[in-house]
Amino acid sequence: MNVWLWGATALLAGFAPCGWIALRATRADALVGLEVTGTLATLALVLMAEGFNRASYMGVPVVLAFMAVVGALVIARFLGRHL
Amino acid sequence: MSAHDLVIDALVGAGVATELLCCVGLVVARDVFDRIHFAMASTTLPPSLIAVAVLVEEGWTQPGINALLVAAVLFLFNPMIAHATARAARVRRFGHVEATDAERRR
Repeated sequence: MNVWLWGATALLAGFAPCGWIALRATRADALVGLEVTGTLATLALVLMAEGFNRASYMGVPVVLAFMAVVGALVIARFLGRHL
Repeated sequence: MSAHDLVIDALVGAGVATELLCCVGLVVARDVFDRIHFAMASTTLPPSLIAVAVLVEEGWTQPGINALLVAAVLFLFNPMIAHATARAARVRRFGHVEATDAERRR
């Protein structure tokens, strides 16, 4: 284990509060929780790519950063009235 | 442990700690509009700190540039999500986006 992998592991703990929000609060709050989860997953993947010392893994968080934005935007813009 | 390692440890530690603080803020916030503040804070400082840590470790190579790209995407595009989410939440609460009479009087 190195500092990158410890950081990635610690970031995974952040999923718990986001999941709690998604389960217990309103659907609009759950969307905010989903947005933070996307950021957490992206940063955890950056740290894991660096921790495993695999440069090719770094493409995954780049794609996820874009896809998380598009996913949340689609939900907020087109399903907003049902939140 | 060299100064180089200390700098990386400090940057990664600060990035992870600020990200987790934003998650805690998400739980303690009162409503969706307060929560959006914490959600957007999580896309500004923590990704930048982690990208700088990767840059210090790797220099201007493919992983360093990709980490910088991730931080830039999160920083530049997430305000659009915040706007769309706040708009949807406001429409859900008031039925429209425009200011109410009480808000106009303030």
